[in-house]
Amino acid sequence: MTMGGKTKKHLEVLREMRSRAVLGGGQKRIDQQHERGKMTARERLALLLDEDSFQEFGALATHNLNAFGLDQHRYPGDGIVTGFGKVSGRRVAVFAQDFTVLGGSFSEVQSQKITRIQDLALDAGIPVIGLNDSGGARIQEGVRSLAAYGEVFVRNVLASGVVPQISVILGPCAGGAVYSPALTDFVIMGGDSCMFLTGPEVIKAVTGEQVSALDLGGADVHMGRSGVAHLATDTEVEAIAMTKLLLSYLPQNNNEDPPQITPEDPANRMDEALNELIPDGENTPYDIRDAIASIFDQDSFLEIQPDFAANAVIGFARLDGYSIGIVANQPCFMSGALNIDASDKIARFIRLCDAFNVPIVTFVDCPGFLPGTGQEYGGVIRHGAKIIYAYCEATVPKISIVTRKAMGGAYVAMGSKQMRNDVTFAWPTAQIAVMGPEGAVRVLFRNEIKNAADPALREKELLEEYREKFFNPYRAADVGQIDEVIEPRETRPRLVRALEVLRTKVQSNPAKKHGLTPI
Amino acid sequence: MENLAWGLQMTVLGMGLVFALLGLLWGLLTIVLILDKEPKPPMSEQETHAVAERIAALADDAVGAQVPEPATVNGMPADLVAAILVATMRHKLTLRRQAAPIMRTYWPGSQLFASRWVAAGRTRQNYSWQPRGK
Repeated sequence: MTMGGKTKKHLEVLREMRSRAVLGGGQKRIDQQHERGKMTARERLALLLDEDSFQEFGALATHNLNAFGLDQHRYPGDGIVTGFGKVSGRRVAVFAQDFTVLGGSFSEVQSQKITRIQDLALDAGIPVIGLNDSGGARIQEGVRSLAAYGEVFVRNVLASGVVPQISVILGPCAGGAVYSPALTDFVIMGGDSCMFLTGPEVIKAVTGEQVSALDLGGADVHMGRSGVAHLATDTEVEAIAMTKLLLSYLPQNNNEDPPQITPEDPANRMDEALNELIPDGENTPYDIRDAIASIFDQDSFLEIQPDFAANAVIGFARLDGYSIGIVANQPCFMSGALNIDASDKIARFIRLCDAFNVPIVTFVDCPGFLPGTGQEYGGVIRHGAKIIYAYCEATVPKISIVTRKAMGGAYVAMGSKQMRNDVTFAWPTAQIAVMGPEGAVRVLFRNEIKNAADPALREKELLEEYREKFFNPYRAADVGQIDEVIEPRETRPRLVRALEVLRTKVQSNPAKKHGLTPI
Repeated sequence: MENLAWGLQMTVLGMGLVFALLGLLWGLLTIVLILDKEPKPPMSEQETHAVAERIAALADDAVGAQVPEPATVNGMPADLVAAILVATMRHKLTLRRQAAPIMRTYWPGSQLFASRWVAAGRTRQNYSWQPRGK
């Protein structure tokens, strides 16, 4: 046989192996996956990545174990597709678990393939996106598959705050497998995916409680109650589109800035409707998202965790084309009071923005922390402290706007001047005080009211006096706590100009191993 | 009284006779029609469609003069142009939201600005190694 013939044979072998790898667990399993309304790993990657941009690594890797009949189940790729590609022209590292191969079970080879791209992504400073669809650890591999989790976890932690990490859950994600997504920056749940540490069968065996997989760890649970997931969609296709959208607000790594798009919304645009947003009634609710939609670039707001702790609103938007992180109290839910869940939600988001050079704009309308034994016993002090810690630690540009109530500890916590806030604006409707008028008057003038000829009338007079003296932004502006009282409609141009100045802000914290966050 | 009874009898007899004769005539004509009818082959579906189309064409011709000419833009139907416009705007919006390269102030990977990741990383690489304790 000539050399040419040999090469041809080698090429044929390679091509045959590659075509086997493309089929994953085989056509029958692919058809089953489609029947369940799910895509295969390669179909998902094709949807996520720019055309012809995917470069696969480890397509032919497979395990070398024989226990429990594993020798009969050797598939090129070993149930995961890994590599590099581009999303909207940006380089990313990706992996997608292939449910058609042994249910996507997590193996030692899978771990080696994931950690390989994690290491390269960390060297190159590019985001890592994981598409998860796995039944859990490969039981036949025993402790090998458990150790494999650890290899991934440690890289998740090392990459945390250096490159964005996004986990997209597109199927079951159980046991130890849930911790890798939990260690990443964002968890997006698509379709009927679910995440839980112990499945319904184990729960039934241990506690006798009967619960379905979706009721235990479906998107509704993690979006609304646990706060584990950050975004959820009805379908896989939408989940992948959401991933692209989310990535557009984040930089490649902690040294770079997020992409800026050419602005089309005029920087000086003023919306007169903002001047009428705050209702006359002190306790009448309004939706802070209306203000956000009006102030920031048109259609640019992406709310994160919209259903979890709805008394706080967090999300990304663009201002003059630049990516901005938004933190706001939501007056139309629990009057915007802060509680344990809202504190966790806000604190985590501030740290995320700080890690990835995204300026933070805070809208304050908070009557204080939610009172009650439930909150105190649950450690609202510790959780509330996380917000203070996060704001104080953050070195990115920080601007706050007091729209209405800023009371007591909540005023201090929500990006006040002393929390190393760069610029503080207030609308004329702002009410900055230690406590509400009713409480303050009863504490300050208890005896005077008691001894008055008409206590009710005297209390009313004192309440009016307190409101006039303290329930406005001007006392705070007098002492420099507010930089400027602005008309609500001026907010957009004011923010654009302030952020233009702060774009080159550099601030550093004292050198240390790490701070002790009140976790 | 006798005259009234006789009158009624004659009315019933006379009218009955007339109706009976009419019924007989109707029956006779029906038989003639059935016997006179030429057998017609059943129409195929295609033929039915052709007939329906002929009728529709006639109807179209009848009302055609009242319908205005469809609007066009540079020779293309206006509806199609509107659909293309909406699709283009939606696509542009998606591209903007996803910060697609064409919407960015500079292309990803552009060499217009030095990568800070590379600049900071290579600076760290070039720190000279210091033995422990020195």
